[in-house]
Amino acid sequence: MNEATKTIGRDLGRMFQALAGLLFVSVLIPLIWGEYYAIPALVVSGVLPFAIGRLLTSRFREAAKPGKLHGMIIAALGWFCVAIFGSLPFFLIAWTVELAPPILGDPSQTSTLAAFTQPINALFESMSGFTGTGLTMTDNEEVLPRTLQWWRSFIEWTGGVGVIVLTTAILARPGSGSLTLYKSEARSERIHPSIVSTVQTIWWIFILFTFVSILLLWIVGMPLWGAINHAMTGLSTGGFSITDNSIATYDSAAIDFALLPIMLLGSIAFPVHYLILQGDLRNLYADLQTRWVFIYMSLGTFVLTTLVYVGDTYDSLFTAFRYGSFQFVSAATCAGFQTAVDTTNVALGRWSAQAQLTVTFGMVIGGAAGSTVGGIKLIRALTLLKGVRHRISDVFYPETAVRRLNINGRRLNEREIRQEFEEAAIITMLWGAFLAIGIFVLLMILPQGEYTLENVIFEVASAQGNVGLSAGITGPESLPTLGKLMFLFNMWIGRLEIIPVLVTLRAVFRRGGIYQ
Amino acid sequence: MKLSELPIVEEVFESGANDRVFDSLLLIGPVLIAGIAIVGRSTVTTGIAIAYVLFFVAYVGYRGISN
Repeated sequence: MNEATKTIGRDLGRMFQALAGLLFVSVLIPLIWGEYYAIPALVVSGVLPFAIGRLLTSRFREAAKPGKLHGMIIAALGWFCVAIFGSLPFFLIAWTVELAPPILGDPSQTSTLAAFTQPINALFESMSGFTGTGLTMTDNEEVLPRTLQWWRSFIEWTGGVGVIVLTTAILARPGSGSLTLYKSEARSERIHPSIVSTVQTIWWIFILFTFVSILLLWIVGMPLWGAINHAMTGLSTGGFSITDNSIATYDSAAIDFALLPIMLLGSIAFPVHYLILQGDLRNLYADLQTRWVFIYMSLGTFVLTTLVYVGDTYDSLFTAFRYGSFQFVSAATCAGFQTAVDTTNVALGRWSAQAQLTVTFGMVIGGAAGSTVGGIKLIRALTLLKGVRHRISDVFYPETAVRRLNINGRRLNEREIRQEFEEAAIITMLWGAFLAIGIFVLLMILPQGEYTLENVIFEVASAQGNVGLSAGITGPESLPTLGKLMFLFNMWIGRLEIIPVLVTLRAVFRRGGIYQ
Repeated sequence: MKLSELPIVEEVFESGANDRVFDSLLLIGPVLIAGIAIVGRSTVTTGIAIAYVLFFVAYVGYRGISN
């Protein structure tokens, strides 16, 4: 066994043990809510990754420290394996209720919970949670056991921290945005010098914001259990809900507007949050990405409100603004909460094609790198725009001219410009390519005439952007198995920004000798 | 033993923005939420929750202005 495998194995083992810890902590929930039948399933789900993790860490204790390549493979494999182990509570609790052994009481089975007796549905839910997507295999979250409601929120919340750590501390590379954050001449280079203290500080900020969000939602009228779950999934921009119709269930403008700042908090880079908490409020406008989060959300809200108002989707300007602002911010922050559903108003899938494509655009771009959002990220979109402008204007300068490009306070030389521009272009191109493949596959497998093209584009962009808004395609029955498998892949690559997954697949296939 | 040497408190104090007010808000948060879970929605709990959120926002602003 080579050294790289040992390093990867040891770090994967640590991830599995951490996952086991999350599962053991979650045993408190069935104890509090009296769902004792769920406890064995949670314990078994925790023991398995703990045992495997323990085996890997003890066997490869002396392995070398991970490098950049290891980091990518660990992240990609880790996310996938964690999603597999994280699906166990769904699967085992569903089967516990299905078989209803007398010793564990007589919990009632529902069609929603029964869907998780299929491993693919359980895995889909888990992957959707850990990637912060929020697309779901449930048709009524309200009837799920509280234990599973919690587990869905908890995995989105920890997945949110995971992706911040990943992008700000582990996989920072030119063009990823995180490096731009670090190297900004105007600000301090990192949250803290070491990865461990960076992770601690990210947790500190995340937990503080979570408490503030819970209390804010509770103040505006959300019941406490809903406030806890929606604060966790809103801040992590995951978007799982514990109600049947997402946030639309509450039908409250106050709750809608209270969720806007929570989702926005999740879409701003956490190093910037750190600086703001230290009193450096300049970053709200001085930081390129943060400034553009506000500009982008405002523009998107304006366009979407105009479209749904002028297009007669809503008859009052306030209603159009309420739903337009919420749905655009929900899409662009990649939270995926939904207020536009059939029971309270016009469902997103029935909005005009222009309105749906505006929401889709929001999902594709996303928010700031270094936050919990998915999509291409604002920094890449801005790098591409600035890079294109730089290249075009190049023609008007003499060949000997020394030109620099200014991005977020950094003055880049030619080599750095190429590096940043290349990375942003590659990610964007791959993002578009996988989006196109997803659309093609979905068009092939869905029943003809059932969904429009804009519905299909919307759904794939939602899965790959880790958003979770649905035009009605995703569901245990409505989405064919091939579609579920494809969405699993879309969610996975979307969360890891594609490159680490491709690096991992290359390593597995080449080193595994499959095509050599 | 000092308060700052207690296990969870020590970790909270050592992480984050190095500000005891934010650290305190972080430590009070779960106590307040647990209190709400037990007592339920009342004028007092609502008032305390509003005070918590407003204080957080005001203190972020204060830190910004005083820097």
